[in-house]
Amino acid sequence: MRLLQKFRNIGKSSQYKGSSNYAYLATRVRAMKSKLVPKETYPRLMNMGISEITRLIEETEYKQDIDKLARTYSGVDLIEHGLNRNLAETFTKLIKISEGEPNYLIIEYLKNYDIWNIKTILRGKYYNASQNEIKEDLVSAGQLSYTFLSELAGKESYSEVISALEGTEYYPILIGYDETNLSDIENNLDKMYYNGLFNVIGESKSKDRKLFAKFIRTEIDIKNINTLFRLKKAGVKQDEIVDLIIDGGLELSTNSIQGLLPLSYDDFIQALNKYSFWDSISDAVGSDTDSLINVETQLKKHSLKSASSFSHVYPLSIVPIMDYIISKRNEVNNLRIIARGKAANLSDEIIMNQLVI
Amino acid sequence: MDINDVKPTRSELIELKKKIKLSESGHKLLKMKRDGLILEFFAILNKAKNVRAELDASFKEASEKIGIAKSVEGTITVKSTAFSLKDAPQIEVESINVMGVVVPKIESSSVRKPMNKRGYGVLGTSSYIDEAADSYEILVEKIILAAEIETTMKRLLDDIEKTKRRVNALEFKVIPELTAAMVFIQLRLEEMERENTFRLKRIKKA
Repeated sequence: MRLLQKFRNIGKSSQYKGSSNYAYLATRVRAMKSKLVPKETYPRLMNMGISEITRLIEETEYKQDIDKLARTYSGVDLIEHGLNRNLAETFTKLIKISEGEPNYLIIEYLKNYDIWNIKTILRGKYYNASQNEIKEDLVSAGQLSYTFLSELAGKESYSEVISALEGTEYYPILIGYDETNLSDIENNLDKMYYNGLFNVIGESKSKDRKLFAKFIRTEIDIKNINTLFRLKKAGVKQDEIVDLIIDGGLELSTNSIQGLLPLSYDDFIQALNKYSFWDSISDAVGSDTDSLINVETQLKKHSLKSASSFSHVYPLSIVPIMDYIISKRNEVNNLRIIARGKAANLSDEIIMNQLVI
Repeated sequence: MDINDVKPTRSELIELKKKIKLSESGHKLLKMKRDGLILEFFAILNKAKNVRAELDASFKEASEKIGIAKSVEGTITVKSTAFSLKDAPQIEVESINVMGVVVPKIESSSVRKPMNKRGYGVLGTSSYIDEAADSYEILVEKIILAAEIETTMKRLLDDIEKTKRRVNALEFKVIPELTAAMVFIQLRLEEMERENTFRLKRIKKA
């Protein structure tokens, strides 16, 4: 209950309290970053089987998580849950050791995990999934603790879940849920996350915060362009797409997106060639392209590349912390892609294409 | 039909002739039905081959797409997203008659859904999930089609076998036995005719 109270208080306030401990945090993050899996390990992992990958992962920071989950899971499930557990522990640790401004920024950035968990619980309730089934899919890498999320998962109905979140910033959106509009609620929660981030970056004019803003706005661009690709490919009507566009992109302003909406799929692709991400996706797009997987992968790579380009500047700022969060998430993704890809008998080419090294 | 059980009477002969005529016309009709069913079977066989090939390709595609979705997005994401889909596809099974064989006609609805109507939010998901869902919807459609065609084929095959047995039974057992009985009665009647004629001649002489 204390955790919930803490969460509620932070949820209500948009202001951060206490002095910022950037120097301490940057040192801790540098030490944590040195423990990330080196790039050279990935080609080695590609030549290993699932059990060998598990053993190798056990020699890294993931040992404790793998050991703890080994009684419950095995094989590739053990790897995936171990990776998720470690990610959650790491990000929670970042929230705990940070104070003042960085704490506020980290919490805001990691809110997508809280939103993800709330969505999973609502989906689980909608499907009448058991508490254990829902709990297995939770990643408490945000502000909401695993204990609190487990309690939510154990509630009898969706209305009890929503009542338990009363007083949080999610409540005004969740109150509109009536079991027939889950996708709308999910979209509104995601829009709320990006709008929240956009409001956060608008608060400071320092150079490091501008870089942080650039990163967030590039993420919004990538999210918008992915949404446009998916909806246009599916032939969704213009007025339905408008509701799913997020404001605050770096290159794609609301006006330029409005200009892209009436275009046909072919013209839409042609219109993208003036943006910086075009070089990354030009080989993957085309009106005859059945799959958008390569486009999305290339956009993700573009986003991570642009983030890593400014990761070394302003060492005592939010920039190296964000760089660590991105690198850690990318490491977990890469390890999961290799393990799951091998378990699904995907070709080495497909697995390599999805990796961001 | 045991030849010893046959009564060599004219009424029996007439009865047998009727039976032979009926058997022959039945044999002719069953042969036509068998040939028709075989033609129908071969037409379906080609369709079944194509559907099975498409089903295999769809399964391969779906396995790959779900593999990519699970590896890139994680199993928990795939599972959580699947929770938002509660509606199962609706399937209606009707029966149609192909040359006397009752075969199923399977109608399905709500299998394929537009990407933004599947139940999950667009902003929190990705094209990996979309394409896995798409390929599984296609796979379900192919399974329904394959179930219809392969059940039809199985039923036709069973009926061809049954008709073939009937045709053979009529051709090689029933009709020859009836014909033999008819010949026996005819011979016996002729014999009786000759005996009568001989008897009358002997009476006349006496």
